[in-house]
Amino acid sequence: MSEQPMIQLKNVTKIYGNGTVGLKNINLNINKGEFVVVVGLSGAGKSTLLRSINRLQDITEGDTIIDGKSITNAKGKNLRMIRRDIGMIFQSFNLVKRSSVLRNVLTGRVSYYPTWKTTFNLFTKEDKQKAYEALQRVGLADKVYTRADQLSGGQQQRVAIARVLTQNPKIILADEPTASLDPQTSRRVMRDLKMLNEEYGMTVLANLHSVDLAKEFGDRVIGVRAGEIVYDGKMSETSDAVFKDIYNGGNGKEADDE
Amino acid sequence: MDNTLKKLPPKPVNYKTRTIHWLIAIASIVIIIWSFTGMDFSGIKATAGQIAGAIISGIFHPDWSYVWNGSGEDLISQLWETLCIAFLGTFISAVISLPFAFWAANTKHKKWYASRSGKLVLAVIRSFPEIVLALMFIKAVGPGSAAGVFALGFHSVGMLAKLFSEAIENLEIGANEAVIAAGGSKWNIVMFSTMPNLMPALISNTLYRFDVSVRSASILGLVGAGGIGYPLIIALQYRQWNRVGIILLGIVIMVILIDWISGWIRKKLV
Repeated sequence: MSEQPMIQLKNVTKIYGNGTVGLKNINLNINKGEFVVVVGLSGAGKSTLLRSINRLQDITEGDTIIDGKSITNAKGKNLRMIRRDIGMIFQSFNLVKRSSVLRNVLTGRVSYYPTWKTTFNLFTKEDKQKAYEALQRVGLADKVYTRADQLSGGQQQRVAIARVLTQNPKIILADEPTASLDPQTSRRVMRDLKMLNEEYGMTVLANLHSVDLAKEFGDRVIGVRAGEIVYDGKMSETSDAVFKDIYNGGNGKEADDE
Repeated sequence: MDNTLKKLPPKPVNYKTRTIHWLIAIASIVIIIWSFTGMDFSGIKATAGQIAGAIISGIFHPDWSYVWNGSGEDLISQLWETLCIAFLGTFISAVISLPFAFWAANTKHKKWYASRSGKLVLAVIRSFPEIVLALMFIKAVGPGSAAGVFALGFHSVGMLAKLFSEAIENLEIGANEAVIAAGGSKWNIVMFSTMPNLMPALISNTLYRFDVSVRSASILGLVGAGGIGYPLIIALQYRQWNRVGIILLGIVIMVILIDWISGWIRKKLV
């Protein structure tokens, strides 16, 4: 089943315009159905790693292969078709605040339609039903016609999860999905992500700040420091010392961040 | 009280800035005197005082019979026409402004010359005064309201598109990224993220521009582009000071009312 990795990064390097090295020669294989958490300090390159996978940022060198297809040089419709298979959850939810919850969730379906149809809001009945069902899965069915800016942070993030569920991707990238939420809401959001992973078989790659959440939900841990992968292993075999090492830079010093 | 609190020390005297201030003051006075000498005041007639008095008395004794007489040439009809010119002109320019705004907005993933050239075009459009445009459109489509609408519609694009493009530049790109990540095209981004987020700024700026356009439309009639300006200049030429008075009064009331209403709506939008 898992001979072909879902996400494959080959010698990926990202150097920003100002010379900052974001990623250094990353090689990484992620298999179908895995729930991978990426941990590391702020600025270690976690976000850059995720955003390179669906090319919200272009990489400088190397190749990224999504389910057998290279996204690195894909263009136009081709690129959009690959992106359709990669859902994304953002730290700041990135809902369109002035639109209804339903329209936000339907945004996940845009790539399934010709552009002119979505422009005139011609979504099919089935897709609207699908969106409503996704909202039921995250427990927000009663908010379907509410404006997104009237929801709390946790609710907004769950709308974002419903949006991803409606997109029906193979992969979900979650860029610090809980960083702006309180601990309880964070757990709820993580449970929803786990639900997508277990029930729909979506491969999840999540950046997390909180070691506790990482331990509770992750199957596999990837430690990132200064643009390099410094640890990669199963969660069950990962000791506290490893986390300490990832965060403290391996030189025994306490991190002054956070 | 203990004496740990010091007295306010006198303001330190800085002779350098003081000298500069004096020099600026002297230079200003010299320029004012110089500009007086450059002008020819001999054109002021001996009757100036008398006519000024007549104007003022006319303004305080307006010609009430002109307000409404059902002929379509009265104050209310003319003011209504002025409003219509302003409204249509603003509406047209709002529609034209949108594509210009996207062109001129300096957003990420855009080559530097794209937005520069857009801004330059808008600056050129802005530099044509409405009156000049109105005179040109009168030659093109003949005198009347149509010329006024076109002149306003064209002139407003310069300012309105600039305001719109600044609103686009200030938008957060987060929601755009969500559409991109879902596999959306550029047009999808505009329809699903940019436009809904932009709506309040669009409406508020358009209303503000309508405010300005009402004032402009009142003047455009002076050159024959329709609206209240035409009866105003006729009344002035025939020295019907009472009529001038009622027209000015009408314009003032209309402008204040529009100002109020649009201000109220814009406040509601925030």
